[in-house]
Amino acid sequence: MKKSAIAASALAMIAATGAHAAGTTLNVGMASADAGVIDPHVATSTPDKGLLHWMFNGLVRIKPGQASPEFIEPDIAESWTTSDDGLTWVFKLREDVECHGDFGPLDAQDVVFSLDRAMDPDISSFANDYSAVQSVEATGDYEVTITLSSGEAGFLGKLVPYHGGNIVCQDAVEALGDDFANRPVGTGPFMFDEYQPQQYIKLIANPEYFRGEPKIQEIYYRYIPSDASRDLAFQAGEIDMIYGRQDQTWVERIQEIPGTKIVKMQPGEMTLIHLNMTMPPLDDVRVRRAIAHAINRDAMVQFRGQDVTLAAISPVPEGYQGFTADVPTYDFSVDQAKALLAEAGHPDGITVKSVQTSLPGMLTTMEVLQSLLRDAGIDLQLELVEHATFHQMIRDDASQVTQYSAARFPVADTYLTQFFHSDAIVGTPTAITNFSHCAVADAEIEAARTETDPAKQDELWATAQQKIMEEVCAIPIYQNLQLWAWNDKLDLGVEVKGSLNLSPPVTEQAAFSE
Amino acid sequence: MSAFFIKRLGFSVITLFGVLTIVFFIVRVLPGDPALVILGDQASQVSIEALRERLGLNEPLFVQYLQFLGGVVVGDWGVSMVSGRPVVEEILKVLPATVELTVVSLILGAVIGIPLGVWSAVRRNELPDYIVRIASLLGLSLPAFVSAILLLLMFSITLRWFPVMSSGQGDTLLERARDLALPAINLGLIMAAYITRVARSAMLEVLNQDYVRTAHAKGLVFRVIVWRHCLRNALIPVVTVVGLYLGILIGNSVLTEIVFNRPGLGKLIVGALNQRDYTMLQGMMVIYTLIVVLVNLFTDLVYGLIDPRIQYS
Repeated sequence: MKKSAIAASALAMIAATGAHAAGTTLNVGMASADAGVIDPHVATSTPDKGLLHWMFNGLVRIKPGQASPEFIEPDIAESWTTSDDGLTWVFKLREDVECHGDFGPLDAQDVVFSLDRAMDPDISSFANDYSAVQSVEATGDYEVTITLSSGEAGFLGKLVPYHGGNIVCQDAVEALGDDFANRPVGTGPFMFDEYQPQQYIKLIANPEYFRGEPKIQEIYYRYIPSDASRDLAFQAGEIDMIYGRQDQTWVERIQEIPGTKIVKMQPGEMTLIHLNMTMPPLDDVRVRRAIAHAINRDAMVQFRGQDVTLAAISPVPEGYQGFTADVPTYDFSVDQAKALLAEAGHPDGITVKSVQTSLPGMLTTMEVLQSLLRDAGIDLQLELVEHATFHQMIRDDASQVTQYSAARFPVADTYLTQFFHSDAIVGTPTAITNFSHCAVADAEIEAARTETDPAKQDELWATAQQKIMEEVCAIPIYQNLQLWAWNDKLDLGVEVKGSLNLSPPVTEQAAFSE
Repeated sequence: MSAFFIKRLGFSVITLFGVLTIVFFIVRVLPGDPALVILGDQASQVSIEALRERLGLNEPLFVQYLQFLGGVVVGDWGVSMVSGRPVVEEILKVLPATVELTVVSLILGAVIGIPLGVWSAVRRNELPDYIVRIASLLGLSLPAFVSAILLLLMFSITLRWFPVMSSGQGDTLLERARDLALPAINLGLIMAAYITRVARSAMLEVLNQDYVRTAHAKGLVFRVIVWRHCLRNALIPVVTVVGLYLGILIGNSVLTEIVFNRPGLGKLIVGALNQRDYTMLQGMMVIYTLIVVLVNLFTDLVYGLIDPRIQYS
C-alpha cells in the first residue's frame, strides 16, 4: 500500500515536471536577479528594457528585426510631414490604438502627455535626449505637432519605442500614480499581468493590439541570474528563449543542444581603452600611439572567440550609422611601440595605472591587454575594485587608462557625443563618459548633429572618427554582438539582425510551430 | 522566567539599535553612487545630481540618520532606492521562501547528521567512523554552488526527476515539495556535515565520562546507554552549533538561491549591496539581526529543555 503511494507520487512528480500550455506560452530566461524599474521612461538596464520592448509602441518604430534608423516605419503615427527647415514635425495618428486593459483608446492627448513625461527631468532618465524640442502639442484628436528649437537630423530616431520614445497612456499614469513603475501600461502586443519577486514577470497577449491579437498568449520573463542554471533550464526545455553570454564557449555549448537557433544581434557592444590625455605620460601622442601599436587585436579577438567578436578599429562601432573604416590604424608592432616610446623620452618603458572592475568579462580583457603591453615595455598596473565602485571612480576622473564596454543608439552621434565630445568630459558639470578628455573633434560632432544632408553628415562623422584616431584618444579593441538563443520551434516571423531594445522582437507574429 | 525574557528583549533592542547604526554609516561610506547605479551608465551628470537630490543623498549624514530613525519608529522602513517598492513589502515577499528552505534544510541536516555522528563516535576508529569522517569532510569542503550544480546535472538534467527552476510558488504540497527538494538537500547535506562532526566529538567526550562506565558496570545494554543517557548530554554542543549556524545559513543560502533560482533573503541582500540600495540594506540588516537574536533566545530555551539543571530566573 505504502509502496504504490510512493510510486504514484513519484510518477506525478515526473509528469508534472515541465508541464505548460504547449504552443502559446513563451518562457524567456534573463540574466538578472530581479526586475529593476520597469517604467519605460526610467529603465536603463538591459533586462528591464528587454521586457518593455514587447509592451510599447512609439510614434514610429524600427522594423522588427533591425536596429538601424534607416529602417524606420510608421507605428502609432501612420504618416508624418516635416517643414522645410526641419523644425516642425506633424504626425497623423492611427485611430485604432488601444491602451492595455481598460484604459481606453489612445489619442493625441496621450502622445503629448507621454512625450512631456519623457522630457521631464524629474521623472525621466532620458530628458536630455529631447533638449532640442521646444513644444509638443495636440493639434487635432489624432494629430500631434512637435516643434524643435534647432534642427536635428536624426530626430525621428528619438520617437521610436526606445527610452523616451515609448508612448504611455495618460489615464493609466494618472490612475496608477507611483504604482505605474510596477505595472506599466502601454499599447503594445503584450501587457503586464503579474510580478513574482525574484522569479518572473508575466505578460499576456493584448487582444486589442492594432496589428492583430498575438498568437502567443503568455510570456514568462524569468529572472535567472546563474549562468549555469539558465543554460541547464534551456537544455531541459523549461525555457524557450535564453539571453546569451558573449562567450565562445557558451555558443559552442548551446549549439550542441538539438533544435536550437542562435542569433547575434546589433547594436554591438564595443570595448574601448580610453587614455586619459591629461595624465602624463599619456599626454604625449607618441606614447598613446605606442600603446596602440603594442596591442595585438587579432590575438584578442581569438581569445574572446571568433564567433562572437568583431575586431574594432574606429571609435564608432561597426554597423552603427555613420561608421567608417577609413581611419588611421596602428598595426601590431612591438618594435614600433618601443621606438615611439624611446622617441617620446621613455627608452625604458612606462608605467600606467588603470582602475579596473572585478567583473570577470571585463577583467579578463584587461589581463590579456596587460600581458601584451608588457612585451612592449609598458607596465599596466590594475587597481581592482568592485563594479559600482569602478563606475564611480572612473567618473571621478581617477583612472589613467579606462576600459569601457558599451552599446548605444546605433547612430555615430550618440557614441561620439558621450565618449568624445569635450562637454562630456568626466569631472565636469555636464559630464557623461568622456574618460580620455578628448576634445579634438567637437566642431565636426556638433555640425553633423544638425546637418540635414545625409552625405555631408556621414562626411563630418568620418572626419571626427579620423581625428580621434589620429590623436588616439582611445583605442578600439573589439565589438561583441548581443547573443540570444531560442528553440527553433519558435518562429518570430521576422529575420532578426538586430534589436535596439536588446531583446529579440517578439511581436504579434511570433508563434510556435509544431 | 518572565524577568529573564524581559531582560533578553531589552538587550535585543539595544543590539538592534547598535547594528542599525553601524550599518547605516558603513553603507554610506562605501564608494559607489546609488544614483549612478539606478540611472545607468548613459546618464548625464545633471540627471545623476537631480536623482541624488531626490533621494536625499546630499543632506548631511546625521540628518539622513535622524530621518531614518524617525521612520523606523513609526514602522516606515522606506522604499527601495532601485525599485521604489516598500522595503518591508519586498522582504516579507521572500521571507517565507527563505524560512521554508532553512527549516527544512535544518531538519534534514539534523536527521542525517546526529545519528551519523553518534554512530561514528560509537564505532570510533573503525570503518564506519572513517567513512563518516570522509563524507563529512567532503560535505564541508565542497562549495555550496558546486554541489548545487552537480545535483542539478544529476537529478534535473540526466534523471529528470526535478525541475531546474524551483519557483517556490507551487499550489499543492507536492509541488512545493518538488521545488524544495534539491535546494533543501543541497543545504541539508552541508548542515549534516557540520552537525556530524560536532555530534561525533560531543559524543566521544560523553562516552568517556564516569557515569557511562557505571551504567556499563550496572549491566545496561550499550544501545540504551548511548541513546538514553549519552545523547542528551551530547546534544548541548550540537544545539549550540545548530543555533549559530542557523543565522549563518540564512546568509549562506544565497548561493543555493542563485543556482536553483529560488527567491530568498540572501539574493535580496546581495542584490541590494551591488546596487547600493541603502534603504534595502538597512531593512535587511534589521531582519537579520532580529533573526539571529530570536534564534539565540530559542537556543537558550532549548538548553533548558534538554538539561533540567539549567534554569532561568
